[in-house]
Amino acid sequence: MRRVVVSGIGFVTSIGNDQPTVLANLRNLRHGIELFPDFASEKIPVKVVGTIKDFDTSSYDAEDWSYPSEYRLKQELLRSLSPHGLYAYCALMQAIEDAALTEDEISDVSTGLYTASGGSMSMIYRHLDLMNRKGVLRCPPKGIIASVAGTLNFNLVAHFKIRGSSSGFVSACSSSGHALGFAFNEIATGRQQRVLVVGAEDCNVESILPFAGMRLLSLSRDPDRASIPFDKNRNGFVGTGGAAAMILEDEECALLRGVDPYARFKGWGQASDGYHVAISHPEGEGLRVAMEQALKFSEVSRADIDYVNAHATSTLTGDLSEILALKEVFHNGRYRPAISSTKALTGHGISLASIMEAGFSVLTIKREFMPGSAGIEILEPEADGLNIIRETQERVAKTVMSNSSGFGGSNVSLIFEKI
Amino acid sequence: METKTSSSLTLNEEKDLRESLKRCSQETVDAAIAYRKYGEYEPVPTIVVGIIERYLEPEVRDKIKDCTEETRLYEDFGIDSLTMVETVMLVEETLNISIPNEDLRELRTVGDVKTFIDCKIRGIPVPRKPRRIPVEEVAAAMPHQDPFLFLREVTLSENEAEASYRISGSEFFLEGHFKDDPVFPGSLMLEALGQLAVFYLVKSDHAGLEGNVDHKKVLANSCDGIRFHRICRPDDTLDMKIKVKRIRAPLATFEGSISCNGERVAIAEEITLAFAFEE
Repeated sequence: MRRVVVSGIGFVTSIGNDQPTVLANLRNLRHGIELFPDFASEKIPVKVVGTIKDFDTSSYDAEDWSYPSEYRLKQELLRSLSPHGLYAYCALMQAIEDAALTEDEISDVSTGLYTASGGSMSMIYRHLDLMNRKGVLRCPPKGIIASVAGTLNFNLVAHFKIRGSSSGFVSACSSSGHALGFAFNEIATGRQQRVLVVGAEDCNVESILPFAGMRLLSLSRDPDRASIPFDKNRNGFVGTGGAAAMILEDEECALLRGVDPYARFKGWGQASDGYHVAISHPEGEGLRVAMEQALKFSEVSRADIDYVNAHATSTLTGDLSEILALKEVFHNGRYRPAISSTKALTGHGISLASIMEAGFSVLTIKREFMPGSAGIEILEPEADGLNIIRETQERVAKTVMSNSSGFGGSNVSLIFEKI
Repeated sequence: METKTSSSLTLNEEKDLRESLKRCSQETVDAAIAYRKYGEYEPVPTIVVGIIERYLEPEVRDKIKDCTEETRLYEDFGIDSLTMVETVMLVEETLNISIPNEDLRELRTVGDVKTFIDCKIRGIPVPRKPRRIPVEEVAAAMPHQDPFLFLREVTLSENEAEASYRISGSEFFLEGHFKDDPVFPGSLMLEALGQLAVFYLVKSDHAGLEGNVDHKKVLANSCDGIRFHRICRPDDTLDMKIKVKRIRAPLATFEGSISCNGERVAIAEEITLAFAFEE
C-alpha cells in the first residue's frame, strides 16, 4: 500500500475564505454565525446561518454574483455553476496553489478529482420554474449541469481538464468523507498519484430551510447560542454552506515535488446504522463501527488518538449517539483523547462538513493546537467521562480522528497523523 | 414556425423582454422592442448581433465590431455549443420564433445566423448550405459499385452536386483503352456524370421529388449536346458538376460538366434520367 499525504487545502467557510483567517478563528474560537437577512420574515422561525462572507450569490442570475477579486471566472463558466460551484472553484484554486501543482500535473492521467455536494435546490427550483413559465425548449440549456447533484464534478473536471478518475459522492453529511476515503483508496492502491477532493454546499434559503421541516434546525435567535454541540440545552443545528478542498497525494510523489505536506492520511473506516432514514442509531452503533474500522485499517491504536474532531451538530439525538459511540471506542474514559466539535464555530455544512473538518484536523496537526468545543455552558451529562475540551489547547496532536454521520445512517471516520 | 408581425406587445411582455435582454446593449433592447411593437424587419440584424455579443466573454467582445458575415462563432468567438444554444434561445424569445434543433447545427457563422433568422421571420425558406457527403455514405447509397463507381466524396447543394474522381491508372478498362496508351473513355465521363445525377436524385430533397427515389429504378433516358474538349489520363482528376434543369417524375434532366485543373474537359447540355419512387 502506498502512503497518502495531504499536500494542499483550501477553504470558503463561514469562519474564513483563506487559511490564515480560518486558522485564527479556529484557535480563538470565533464563530461565523450571524442573523441571516433572508430569514428575516416573521413566517420563518429560523434566524441564524453560518454565513459566507465576501461572496454574494443571492441572485438567481449567476452573472450578477460577486466574489473576491483574486478569482477570475469566465461568464460562460459562471452560468453553468450553482452558488456552491463558485465556492468549490475558489476553494480548489486555493488548494492547488497551496500544493504548488502545475497545470500539467493537474491535467494528467495520474490525477483524479472527487467531489461531494447534494446539488443546488435553489437552481433546480429556478430552472423548473422557468421551464414551467417559458416552455420546455426555453429552459436554460445549462440548467441541469448547474443544478443537479454532480454539478461540481461536471464543471470542475471539464474546467481543470482532469484526465484521471473522477466521481461525485452523495451520502448526505458524510459525502465528502466518502470522497476523501475513496480518493485515499485510489492513491493507496497506486491507481492514482493524486486526487483533488472538494466538498461544497449552497448557503441560502433553499439549501438550509427545508431542514426546519424535520425539526432539525436550531430556532435560536442568538448567533452566540445557536450552535452549541455537547451542551445540555442544544436545540438543533445551524446551517451553513461554502466549500473545502484538499489535495491528496502519494507521499513519495509529494516529497519529490518538494512540498511540505500538512499530515499523512493514515486511513479511514465506514459503516452504516441500518436503522432509520434520518435519525442516528440511539447508541451510535454505525459510527462506533466506522471508528473501529478506521483504527483497524489505519493500523493505529485507540490509545494513540490525541484529538477527535467530532461530527456533533448540536442536535439532541445526534450528539447523544456520538457521545455513546465515543465512549464505546475509547473504553469509557480509559483512553482520553481531546474531543471537540468545530460546528460550534462554523455551523453544519452537510456534504461539505466532513472535508471542512478534515481540513481543520490537518491544520490542527500542522500548527500544533487543538481547537476547543465552543459554546458549552452546561455539558451534556451523558458526556461525563469524555475529555471534551472547551478551550483551545496549544499542544501537539500527533494523531487525529475526524467523524461524520449522514442521513440513512452512513458514517465515516478519517484518521490523519503528523509526519 | 411562428411568425409574429403584429404590433401587440403587452406591458408585461415588454417588462419580461427588457429583463431577458438586460445584459444587452441599449441599442439591442430598443431594436427588439421596435421589432416586437411594429414588426419592423430592419432592426433584426442589430438584435441578432447584439445577442451574440451579450454571450461573448469580455475579452473577445470587441471583436464583434469588426465581425463579418464569415466570422465563425465557435472558432473566432470561442463560444461552445451550449453557449450557442443560450444565444439562440434568447433570439427565439426576443423575436418570438422557434428554431428546430436540427437547424441549429447548420449555424456556424455570423452570416448563417443572420440569414437564418431573416428567412425565419419573413417566412421564406432558408437556403440550404452545401453538404459534404463522405465516400462511405455515397457508396452505400448507390446501385453502382467498384470497379464501376466513379464517385468519391460528393458535395450536395440545393440545385447541384459536385464530385471528383482521380484516375488511378489501375482501372481495368485502361488496359484496352488504348493498348499501351491509357486514356479515360469519353463514354465513361458521361457515365460518371450520370452517376452523380443518380446520387443527386437519391439524396437530394429537391421540391420536385415528392418521395424517396428508389436507387434501383434510375435509368439513363437520353443525352444531348455532348462535347469533349481534351483527353484525361492516369493521375488526372475529373472535377464533375451536375445542375438540375428540371425534375418532373418520372424524368429528371441535368446539365453536366467536367473540368480538370480548371480546364474544360466535357460538357453535356442535357442528361435525362428516368426514375421511380420507393414503394
